[in-house]
Order: sequence, then C-alpha cells, then structure tokens
Amino acid sequence: MSHLDVEDVSLAYRRPLSNEQFLALENVSLGVERGELVTVVGPSGCGKSSLLMLIAALLHPTSGSIRLSGREVKAPGSDRAMVFQDFALLPWRTVLSNVELGMELKGVTPAERRAAAQRYIAMVGLRDFERHFPHQLSGGMRQRVGIARALSVEPEVLLMDEPFGALDAQIRALMAVELLRIWERDRKTIVFITHDIDEAVYLADRVIVMSASPGRIIETIRVDLPRPRDLDVRNTPEFAAYRHQIWGLLEEQVRSTLNWPAVAS
Amino acid sequence: MASRRLVVGSLSVVVFLALWQIVGSTNLIRSDLISYPSEVVATMAKMASTGELGSNAWVSLNEFFVGFVPAVIFGIVAGIALALVRRLRLLLDPLLIAIYQAPIIAFIPILVVWFGVGTTSKIVMVFISAFFPVMINTMTGVAQVAEPWTRAVRSFGANTLQVVSKAILPGSLPAIMAGMRLGVGRAVVVLIAGEMYVSVMGIGRLVQVYSSAARASEIVVLVVVISTFGFACVSFLRWLENRIGPWRQELEQ
Repeated sequence: MSHLDVEDVSLAYRRPLSNEQFLALENVSLGVERGELVTVVGPSGCGKSSLLMLIAALLHPTSGSIRLSGREVKAPGSDRAMVFQDFALLPWRTVLSNVELGMELKGVTPAERRAAAQRYIAMVGLRDFERHFPHQLSGGMRQRVGIARALSVEPEVLLMDEPFGALDAQIRALMAVELLRIWERDRKTIVFITHDIDEAVYLADRVIVMSASPGRIIETIRVDLPRPRDLDVRNTPEFAAYRHQIWGLLEEQVRSTLNWPAVAS
Repeated sequence: MASRRLVVGSLSVVVFLALWQIVGSTNLIRSDLISYPSEVVATMAKMASTGELGSNAWVSLNEFFVGFVPAVIFGIVAGIALALVRRLRLLLDPLLIAIYQAPIIAFIPILVVWFGVGTTSKIVMVFISAFFPVMINTMTGVAQVAEPWTRAVRSFGANTLQVVSKAILPGSLPAIMAGMRLGVGRAVVVLIAGEMYVSVMGIGRLVQVYSSAARASEIVVLVVVISTFGFACVSFLRWLENRIGPWRQELEQ
C-alpha cells in the first residue's frame, strides 16, 4: 500500500449539450509513495486535471477508489491541498489573509494562523507583500501565494494542477527551481500535473505519461537524476534522453488529438 | 486638480443661490411662491428651535431604519437562497420580478388599510421598497461570483455555509452594496409619499401640511432635509464600498 493509492479509477460524465456519455479517465491506477514527487504529463484534454480533482474529491469517480494513508477519500479536506493553474486567490483578501484561508477552514486559532501564514509567506519570499492584494502582484508572485496557502494547512499531499501554466517560460523555470527548494525541506508527497515535458522531468521522481481521451496511463518513467537539481540539469544528455523518451510516447497521442498524420522524417 | 474641480463645481451652486436670492427677495417673482435662501435659512432655524423639525425627523428616521435594516438582511438572505437553489428561483422569479416592477406608491393605500395610519405602515413601505433591489442585486452578484473563488474554498473542505461566508458573500458584496444604494433612493421616496398620504408625524406629513397651506419656504426646508439625508446615506455606502472593495475596479478592467 502506498501513501496515495488511486485504484482502477474511471470517470465518465455526460456532455451538457449533446448528452453523450464521455469517458474522461479509464482504469487509472497509480501509487504514490510518501515523500515522492510524481508528475503527470499528457496531451490537453486527457483528463489529467480530472485525476487531480478526483484525488481532491472535488469530483467523484464513476468506479474505482482513492485512498490516502489507507483511508478512502470521500470529501475535500485539508489533508490534501490544491494549487491551481488560475491561482484561485480571493481578490478581496490580502496576501496574508489569502494564506490564512485554508487554516481558517481547518479551525486553526487566529493567532496561530497569523504566525504560520507569515512563516509560509517568508518561505515563498513574499515577506514584503503581506499587505498587498492579489491584483497588485505579478503572476509568479500570485502563485507563490497559492503555494503558501496550500502548504500552510500542512497537508499530507500537495496537489498541483499545472500551477505554472499561466506563467511565461522564464518565470516558469524559476518557479520549478523554487518548488524543489521548498520540497527539499520537508519532502511532502506531491502530485504535479503539467503538459511541459521539461518541467515534468526536472521535478519528478517519476513521470506518469497519459494517453489522449479517454485518459489512461501508458507509461511510468523513473527519473534517476541526482538531487538537489539545478536548472543546468536540463542540458545534460541524461535529461535529453528522458525528454526524448517521453516526447516519443506523447507525440502519437498529441497527433491523435489533432487528427494530424505523422510526418515522414 | 481635485480642489480646482471643487471650486468650479461650487461656482454653479453659488451663482444659483445668488440669483435665487435676488429674484426672490426683490419680489421679481412672487417670493411666497419661490421663497429665497436667506428666508429658507431663517425658516429652518425657526423650525429647528421649536422642535418641529427634530421631532418629525426623528419619527421618519426611525421608520426608515427600522424598515431598511431588516430589508437589507432579508434581502441578502433571500437573494443568496434564490441564487443557490434553482428550483426556488424558477418558482418565485416571475412573482418577485412582477412585485419589483410594480410602483410601490400604488400599494400605499392598501398598506395603510392593513397596518394603520401610524409608523407601522411606513416601516412596511420602507421594507418593501428596499428589500427587492437588495434581493435582486444579491442574486445577480452571486451569479457573478467567480468559480475559482468557490473552488478554492471548497478544496480546503469547506461546508456550504463556509462557501457562502468565505466566497459567495464577500464576492457579491459590491453588487449587494449597489442594491442598498438603489434601495435607499426608493425607500426615501416611498416613505415621504406614504407620510404625505396619511400619517401622524414625520417629515412627509410636514410636507403635506405646509403644501396645503402653500408655504414655499417651509417646503424648501423639508426638501433640503430629505435630500441631505439621502445624499448622506448614499455617500456613506459609497465610502463603505471603497473601503471593503478596492479589488472590484481591478477586476472590471
């Protein structure tokens, strides 16, 4: 039994207009060990975000089950904290108050959550921005608030849904470095969804490759790059080999979603 | 820049008051029909010193707030309930829109029959006038609450009540405040009309009494009092809105 167990999960729903049955995920099984950083890559629309929503219990599987530390997850809770692509910050709250949100809902006392929020805000490097509102921050800073908010509830698992997808390429690379720096401290279990192969390899202990719809796991690749990793690791031959392998698996899937034939090369 | 605008803006007011003073006090137009500023000020002082203004204003203020505060509370609760419970909305929407659109002034006689000539009927009038704009704006506001806000709150395991208090209510607050401002305007009009129709005491009753005696300067005093009150309420709500919602303008860009 792993720390997080996704057991034979399928997710089907009816499309609102046509009312046809749509299979988003098909027989997905995945075990994530305690302290492991797993990334999930796949073409757009492969249901990788749905997988994360299922783990968060913001969606419920049509069949199969999800267990965290042996207990089936049935409702959202602070044992799993999410970081969203669109940040999902509350615009009327300051940075400090946004970070406190999760702890408020968890029932942490005001004094404790103030102190904890300040600690996590410092950890993500926003100490001078506690009193700012989200609209006064850049995208990268907003997502650091999102990360601090998620970490502050001290979840067992951090669920990250393309967290850097809305950021430009340079910021994105640096955010990945930051995430690893934070993760090295306490090695929280992380499931990280992305469509960026470099990001997936750079962060991961294991990369899960998913197929186009319905989403299935087509390959699991263990990444044996030494840690701690810096950005230069992306220029090594080992990294290139992983990139090549994953792109090889994904190319066909992406083409199938585009309806494009393979190009002779 | 701001002070300059203030100077230019008050210029029109000063010129207007000066012209009114000259035309009225020289009887260029009959002063018993239009009065003039210095006479209005004197009348106001007299009405204030006899306690006539204070005691009647107190009655009207009471009617206003006793009707308005519950209207806001019930309006917000009803607006959120209707926005969240689709069946309830489908059931009640046509009826509520119809009542909202109806001129409440037309209901004044029947409300007096039901609730008497005293303050109760005025309180009900204020309540009805303010309830609907608050409720309908709350409904609209809740519909505009962005999905990421509720998603964020739900992801931390919030129950329905917490989703409402942490995401839906603060997220729709700007719309609720707009509804309150609309409600103030409607409630003041209906309250004065109701008191003018029939009442024991109140600013509207004074308007009715002095207009049947054709006393221009007293009526002007009362108009000034009423519009000052409405202006103060709306200014307060705008101030409150700016204090709690500096994020709003940013979102609208």
